[in-house]
Amino acid sequence: MERLFRQVVHHPWVILLLLVLMTVGLGSQLPKTTMETNIEEMLPKALDAYINKKRLEEDFNAADMVVIGILNETDPHGIYNPHTLKLVDELTNWLRTRKEFRTIGLSDLLSLSTIKDIRGTADGMEVELFMPSPPKDRTAIERLRQRLEDNGIYMGSIVSRDGKGTLIVVRPDPSYLGRYHEIHALLTKKLAEIEKRGGPEKLLVTGRPIIEGVFGIYMPQDMQRMQPLIIGLLVLLLALSFRNVRGVVLPLASVVLAEIWMVGTMAAAGVPFYTVTSMLPVLILAVGIAYAVHLVTHAQVDLGRHPDKQEALVTTMNGLWMPMLMTTLTTAAGFLSMLTSELVPMRWFGVFAAIGVSYAFIISFLLIPAAFALLPAPKRKDKPMAFGGYLDWMTRIVVHHPRRVLAAFGLAMLVSSYGLSQIDVDSSLVSEFRPSDPIRQADEILNARFAGTNTLDAMIDTGRQDGVLDPQILKGLIRMQQAAESDPLVGDSSSIAEFLAEMNKVMHAGEAAWKIPPEASDLAAQYLLLYSFSGAPDDFDAFITSDYRQAHLRIQLKNDSSHAATHLIHALQAKTGEWLGDAKVDYAGTAYTIHRFSDLVITGQIKSLVAALVLIFALCLWLFHNLWDAALAMLPVSMAVVVCYGVMGLVGLPLEIGTAITGAMALGIGVDFAIHYLYRYRYYEKQGHDYGAVVAEANQDTGRAILFNAVVVIGGFLVLLTAQLYPQVKLGALIAGSMAVCYLATCYLFPVLLARRED
Amino acid sequence: MKTVITITLALTAWLVTAPLAQAEPTGLEIMQAVDNREDGDDLKQTMTQTLIDRNGNERVRHMVSFRKDYGKDKKMITFFTEPSNIRDTALLTFDYDDPDKDDDQWLYLPALKKVRRISAADRGDYFMGTDFTFEDMKQTPELDDYHWKLLGSETIAGQDCWKVEGTPVSDEVMQDLGYSRMVQYVRKDNDFTVRVDYWDRAGRELKHLKIEKLEKIQGIWSPLKIVMTNVQTNHRTVLEFADQQYNTGLKDRLFTQRMLKRGYRE
Repeated sequence: MERLFRQVVHHPWVILLLLVLMTVGLGSQLPKTTMETNIEEMLPKALDAYINKKRLEEDFNAADMVVIGILNETDPHGIYNPHTLKLVDELTNWLRTRKEFRTIGLSDLLSLSTIKDIRGTADGMEVELFMPSPPKDRTAIERLRQRLEDNGIYMGSIVSRDGKGTLIVVRPDPSYLGRYHEIHALLTKKLAEIEKRGGPEKLLVTGRPIIEGVFGIYMPQDMQRMQPLIIGLLVLLLALSFRNVRGVVLPLASVVLAEIWMVGTMAAAGVPFYTVTSMLPVLILAVGIAYAVHLVTHAQVDLGRHPDKQEALVTTMNGLWMPMLMTTLTTAAGFLSMLTSELVPMRWFGVFAAIGVSYAFIISFLLIPAAFALLPAPKRKDKPMAFGGYLDWMTRIVVHHPRRVLAAFGLAMLVSSYGLSQIDVDSSLVSEFRPSDPIRQADEILNARFAGTNTLDAMIDTGRQDGVLDPQILKGLIRMQQAAESDPLVGDSSSIAEFLAEMNKVMHAGEAAWKIPPEASDLAAQYLLLYSFSGAPDDFDAFITSDYRQAHLRIQLKNDSSHAATHLIHALQAKTGEWLGDAKVDYAGTAYTIHRFSDLVITGQIKSLVAALVLIFALCLWLFHNLWDAALAMLPVSMAVVVCYGVMGLVGLPLEIGTAITGAMALGIGVDFAIHYLYRYRYYEKQGHDYGAVVAEANQDTGRAILFNAVVVIGGFLVLLTAQLYPQVKLGALIAGSMAVCYLATCYLFPVLLARRED
Repeated sequence: MKTVITITLALTAWLVTAPLAQAEPTGLEIMQAVDNREDGDDLKQTMTQTLIDRNGNERVRHMVSFRKDYGKDKKMITFFTEPSNIRDTALLTFDYDDPDKDDDQWLYLPALKKVRRISAADRGDYFMGTDFTFEDMKQTPELDDYHWKLLGSETIAGQDCWKVEGTPVSDEVMQDLGYSRMVQYVRKDNDFTVRVDYWDRAGRELKHLKIEKLEKIQGIWSPLKIVMTNVQTNHRTVLEFADQQYNTGLKDRLFTQRMLKRGYRE
């Protein structure tokens, strides 16, 4: 190794040229960077939720729909006034002329202007639009309202029961998949134009495509906003510590290069940014800076000691090579443990975080010695080191009040253990936005008034042609709908059985007693034929396959929490056999995806924690050749993880995609503190100092470095608090907190325990 | 000298414009010819309707249908023969030429043993779950709804055709009928429309209609196979006609609710 180090300091230009070439090469890949906001793409391709969603799209022509809400809370008649109805009609016609939407069938575009009424009359049946053109006078409007209420199918789903709101539900054109932010931008602009005209209506927009579109807008915005913040923070901290230009510029250059390399590698490998991985650039800056800081610190000391510049730098590199490699390996191990998760973004997060810290290590290790070799040796100045007073105080506490330290940590563990037992698991797409975010508020308002913007989709396969028309199956579908609707979070449900029951009633002169599914399979077939005289070819595509073998039952939920979904799915699964006999029932939809997603978050969480513990422990064992030291090195960070999850349990923050990766991440980053501390502690111990002196010495050099390291990492993660995406905010706060605990445990508890051991 | 120039110019103008003026009908004239094409006073035929969804799944229905003209109005009765769960279902339609007068329709459902009147569909509505709208089923669209423009000539399946573009006369017509544009290919020899392309309200290509088989039966050009493809959904409808019998003097009492209930007997 030493020969290599000599090459570096004797041919600095070659090293710099190499770094520049690599940076240009990988930097040229940056324009290829892509984003992925579709939650299904985050699932393993073999997972049922993924497969079923594809089947739902294939067999039932299903799609995620954009939901536009029109509320009128000022008019005493709510939306039932000429102005609002005209607006609905205008918007519907506008949507029909836009390439961004597919508006062929009834299931593609649902609004007051497209839905049809099936009515029984004395001599037959009437199928007609509720609103062929917007009515202008009070009587016509009241008649419309009466008809909507009598029909009932669209109450709650298209018009709110209180009459204060109506929805337009529209399907994005398939060609816009992955470009939903364009649809969001288009609608935002259109709705703003309408609001500017000054009507009494309030307009809102939501739905899965919109939520995904907004993710696509926030991700780059967040990345752009956090970049200068974190760089500003680094400049400040570096300037405070080193008080010279090179001490600021060189570490900063190292991590920025590492960031460019990492993102460039991602782009070249064709891996997109997910909401979770979009924090990687910030993470690499915060975590990677430690390598450069250690190098600059030691290089300045060694340059002061050796008259020969090159020799001084070789000494620095020799001394830091092993501990830096070790901490890189442990940090990378923590990240790589995320590979045990089945969730695609988690895996990529682990891989690229590990690659990123490795880059930071390599670049720092080459760039800083090479740059120092070119620069004139620094003037020796004996400035007092920063924080000397605090570090002395720390030593006093540890040496003189070990019991208090133990008591404080004991108490923290006790409280955290209680919190741990309270921890909850819940995933939700909408709660990935801050509570004040317009999209989250729109979703809440619409869910309060309407049947719900999230769906659970049951696909029923009877295994034979015309099987769905079997009266037993139709009855089973109705019972399943009734069971689902008894759940308070379910706003509405629909299936082919419901439409057939409505037609049955209409064909029996509108008598309510006949609102039951037809009692003969032939009659059901004839009703469907009858409906086809006024419906589009794909009106019922969403509910029944064209061979009448499979049916689709759609349940609308008022929130997208995995909690609610899991509860409902279990309740339905328990009764399926009773309702539907041997028909095969599979689930899909956002609710099911979130439910399975949440499962994977938990199993992934546990697996990655175990993997991280084992890997890092093995590395420590290799480094210290001592079981006790290896175990001890794991202790502070393990405590930090316990406190972190304990606090989540105490404040009611559930485990979800953002918060779930904190454990493994905290392990990987936090164990560095302990490794550095233990390494130094043993070093001074071997020199024969007594306990107090060892602690004091270790605190003054490693303690200082760890303090800097901790402040940078904590500060870096606190930058995430400015993110628009909530998982980032929560993760930032949790990691920052964990690192603080880890720092305290390393610098206060650690020496106390080491002393106990010596006794 | 001046006279020579004038005469030359006049002569040139005559040479250029005269043959065109004589040979080229306007778009509207072509469509009127299609509208007035002979299709018999009455017709009995069998019909097979195949609906093919985007996954290639087929739904096949067989029916026998009768049509009789009453001036510009028409009466039609259709009996479903297959599949068995809709056998004997029958539809009676009185189709009025006056676009302001709604068609009358009755349906007999054998499982209910009742005749039910069903409301007239809007012209832009789809017909019986097919990719045809009620308007598409007619010999030509309502000619007043579109501006017709001759785009030129094109050869379709070896036949010289007029290429005529229709654009809706108003926004309202476009919203009602669903098309922002259509192009009709009309055979020059027999005034038969053999292909139509449709564009949706947003200007995207929507459907293709093709007459795949056309034959002269009893001196009347009759389509044997029509395919309508929705290029956006990949849903397809194939209509096949056979056993045509024109001008057999169908009785008026065939087109009544009583016959609807009685069903079709060979």
